[in-house]
Amino acid sequence: MKLLKKSYFILPVYNVLGRGFMAELKSAGVLQKKGLRLNNTSILFIILIIMFVLFSYIGRPFFFSRLNLIPMLNNLSFIGIIAAVLTMVMVSGEIDFSVGGNIGLTACLTALLLEKGLPGWLVVIIALSGGLAMGAFNGMLVTVIGVNSIMATIGTMFIWRGIGYTLSNGESILAMNPVIDYIGRGFIFKVIPFPIVLLVIFFLATYVIMNHSKWGRRIYAIGANPLASYLSGINVKRVKFINFLFCGITASLGGLILTSLSAVGMPQHGQGLELVIVSSIILGGTALGGGRGQILGTLAGVLILSILYNFLTIMNIYYFYIQIVQGSVLILVVSTYEIRQAMARRRA
Amino acid sequence: MERVEKKYSGIMNFLRTPTPTLIGIYIVMLILFSMVSKNFLTIQNLKGIFNNFAVFGILSAGVTIVMIGGGFDLAIGSTAGLAGIVSAVLLMKGIEVPTPIVFLVAITIGCTVGLINGLIITKVGINPIITTLGTLAIIRGICYFWANLNPRILNVFTQNLGRIYLGNVFPITTVYIITAFVILTLILKFTRFGRDLFTIGGNEYLARLSGIPVDRIKIISYVISGFFCSIAGLILISQLGSGRPEYGTGAELEVLTIVVLGGVAVGGGKGNYLGVFIALIIIQTITNGMVLLNVPVYIRVVVKGALLVLVISIDAIRNRRNLQPY
Repeated sequence: MKLLKKSYFILPVYNVLGRGFMAELKSAGVLQKKGLRLNNTSILFIILIIMFVLFSYIGRPFFFSRLNLIPMLNNLSFIGIIAAVLTMVMVSGEIDFSVGGNIGLTACLTALLLEKGLPGWLVVIIALSGGLAMGAFNGMLVTVIGVNSIMATIGTMFIWRGIGYTLSNGESILAMNPVIDYIGRGFIFKVIPFPIVLLVIFFLATYVIMNHSKWGRRIYAIGANPLASYLSGINVKRVKFINFLFCGITASLGGLILTSLSAVGMPQHGQGLELVIVSSIILGGTALGGGRGQILGTLAGVLILSILYNFLTIMNIYYFYIQIVQGSVLILVVSTYEIRQAMARRRA
Repeated sequence: MERVEKKYSGIMNFLRTPTPTLIGIYIVMLILFSMVSKNFLTIQNLKGIFNNFAVFGILSAGVTIVMIGGGFDLAIGSTAGLAGIVSAVLLMKGIEVPTPIVFLVAITIGCTVGLINGLIITKVGINPIITTLGTLAIIRGICYFWANLNPRILNVFTQNLGRIYLGNVFPITTVYIITAFVILTLILKFTRFGRDLFTIGGNEYLARLSGIPVDRIKIISYVISGFFCSIAGLILISQLGSGRPEYGTGAELEVLTIVVLGGVAVGGGKGNYLGVFIALIIIQTITNGMVLLNVPVYIRVVVKGALLVLVISIDAIRNRRNLQPY
């Protein structure tokens, strides 16, 4: 605050960006008494830029080309929107591993309904309500019955994928329809890909929710201390349940994007995606136990991991080596986080 | 603690566990399945049921130990796959390492994976599910190093390891499972390790305060789980007659269902091997029944997932976690 008072020329900027943004920057450690200091999220963005430049150089001429970057962004878009909403779930102290299965089921459902000849908009509505139902089921297991969310969603992950296999009989079904095509491959103003617009909208919306709304403050409070939030009058179970609903809808939207991008509905869609999504969220600084996490951090995490895996693919590395990298990244990221936490606790 | 044991000693203590319910469920299932399918109650089919659960049984022996201590192991399927494919490669024509050395290598692999899991979980302090989810992916990736070799098992001893029937009826793998379960039950009941494990599962913080070496015991439990994974891997390659990198995929789902159905609490601190054994038979009977009734293979996946969700829901209700207001 001292910095803000002294340098009056920052005030207009402060007013434009809004109190919340500056407060967040300050609490995250960007603005401190001794001038600018880097916080975790900005370190992640610097790493992202370095990686991008390095990969563009090593992977030339393929990495930094329109043919690679646009598909990469498209592929990143559904990971990103799911990660943004899953960050809300994870900050509230729960987790949802069933998003990959949800994508598989939604893809099969969409393709099947299109094959039956239903209009595109109706298919989208049905697919999203399917996601809603899946989210509701997860939320019910976690809040009403009281199952540990990791276990519950690992179980439902298998159920969703199994239903996907049953619906499609294990085959991939062609999914061609103007509406569905537009979701993944359409352009707004003939320039901006539609999934990237969705990505931006989702990150903006979750950012506003998490940082500038009552709802977001409740989520942080619940993650930090559920008992205290319950005692201070927050309906903890309802907040968690609605978070799961959001997560289900978003995952099925991701499934729609993936179906549209690949033009087929396959039950294998989204297999192993939970690993990538959860590791990018944790890389972004969200605590596994809840209570801590930022949407911008998640954005950086998603971008970093997507660029890394895209680069590995471009360098012609086998998928199973990439699988090893994905597992190692998850463990490394969480370990770094835990070790830093322990060091901070020791210092305090 | 002692007072409680005196109050409900012997048969009462047994009746308070979920094991009697499981036996009841099994009897009902036997009657139902034998009414629906006439092939169910035949020696041939029962032989098949008992021989088919070999891998899951051995795996659940280790997982039960880990889960009683409040931990979790999802990497079992891929660890078994890794131990399996490495031993299959070592037994391949042209390499033909002596069998005892191969078994030693397999066991070393399993124990090393368990040790690494345990070290990461206890010393770094990561959630066990996240850790083993990561190692699951890593180990499965490593398995694919030998993907194009496709080794066959021609070694007679290894072939017999999981295929012999005692007296032409009783599969030897069931003997392994029963031996392992009995030994582990004795360890849990009568050694300090076992008591400490239950204490840790019940309340880790209190265990730490009362001077139990929590980290060491947890690491040992993961090493035991890794050991059983390598045995399961050897039985896998013995029964299937070859080594493939995808062996053991999805075993964690099945084993988790078995162990939780057997009455091992998800948070730790509760569990016995008799329950796990009956749960093992029940789950395998359900799988077998679905085969006999011609249930499509994809619906079986749904049924297995639904079973897991059902079982953990029952566990949550039993342990009254739903009474928490938040």
